[in-house]
Amino acid sequence: MAAYSAGSLPLSQALCISTHLEHCPECVRKLQRLNRVGSELMQQLKPAPASSELRDKLFARLDSLTEDSAEKVDQETGSSVPKCLQQFVRDGYDKLRWKRVSADIQSAELCRDSNGARVELLKIRPGGSAITHTHLGDEYTVILEGGFSDESGLYGEGDFLFRNNRDEHTPVATQHRECLCLAVTEGPIQFTGLFSRLLNPFVRRNFAL
Amino acid sequence: MAYMAYKKSSGDKLAALKACLTRVAEDRDREAFAQLFDHYAPLIRAYSLAREPGADLVADELVQEVLSRVWLKADKYNERLANLNTWIFTLARNCRIDYLRRNSRYVTEIDPTDIFNEIEDEGPGPFQQVQQTRAEESIRTGLKQLPREQAEILTKVYLEGKSHQQASDELKLPLGTVKSRVRLALKKLEVLIER
Repeated sequence: MAAYSAGSLPLSQALCISTHLEHCPECVRKLQRLNRVGSELMQQLKPAPASSELRDKLFARLDSLTEDSAEKVDQETGSSVPKCLQQFVRDGYDKLRWKRVSADIQSAELCRDSNGARVELLKIRPGGSAITHTHLGDEYTVILEGGFSDESGLYGEGDFLFRNNRDEHTPVATQHRECLCLAVTEGPIQFTGLFSRLLNPFVRRNFAL
Repeated sequence: MAYMAYKKSSGDKLAALKACLTRVAEDRDREAFAQLFDHYAPLIRAYSLAREPGADLVADELVQEVLSRVWLKADKYNERLANLNTWIFTLARNCRIDYLRRNSRYVTEIDPTDIFNEIEDEGPGPFQQVQQTRAEESIRTGLKQLPREQAEILTKVYLEGKSHQQASDELKLPLGTVKSRVRLALKKLEVLIER
């Protein structure tokens, strides 16, 4: 979160955090305090004087400045899609190109980050489970709708989870409804089951695409 | 590191700057905008130069970008969300992210505008509001009392825009030490309230 506030977090991870923030007022306040730290540090810098040319140049262009993209964000779309995801999900989740990953899971890739991380949405059917897996890289998950449980607990809407390559887990969606998550993976997942291990080469190849 | 000593009157100064912003918002007052420029442009340049020493053109570009947004968005500034200094800091940070993204060797389709948009805290209670204000005030005093090595790490992360990994490489410290110093510093500033 400190890296998010400082602006040094990869954008894919920042995307997860801001999705979580839309659900969590407590973390919003924490972020405000973190921003304050940055602002106080900035005030302590030794000012680097600005030239009068710079000032004139800026003043000369004030009249021609227009609100550009900033405006469109304020429109209320009435959509249930978190604001920061609307750039990828324009017409609702159903219109995305969903691909079947397993009997229980579908995925829709939203984009790639500059560090190669894959940003995707995952849909797990009610009561459905993912095959037990670990991760070669880190995985960040934010639950958008529904919930799931794994070895370490039960998670609901807005919850933010972080898993690294030492964690092995088997997420199971809750029974009453479908579970929709935002997932950012920085490396392919590794199946650890006796037979599903055989799938690993294919997953890796898919990730490299 | 040459830190500028805090002026006693920094509270008054901030109030005066805020009055300028209000005049910009309501009357498009250029005189008031000039005062904002005189105060913030050198700080924004310093912020940019902290990350890229010597890159004066980049610093000037950041000043233009940030202050253009101030001119355009002056009426959107919400005192309840952040004090003016913090607002400027977040604008500068967002502009820097945007700049780095546009000039990166590695493309990403992720548009940061929507990510770092202010998120409204929907109705904090009066108690939380007071608590928040107090917490923010203690950050200012707390920073001055931090051990040097913790302040150094925060500067690297916040101003130089370094990742924890980069900070660990530069300071020749294990990654774990960097992380724990950041954590300790933030805990001392009561940014992280352990529950």
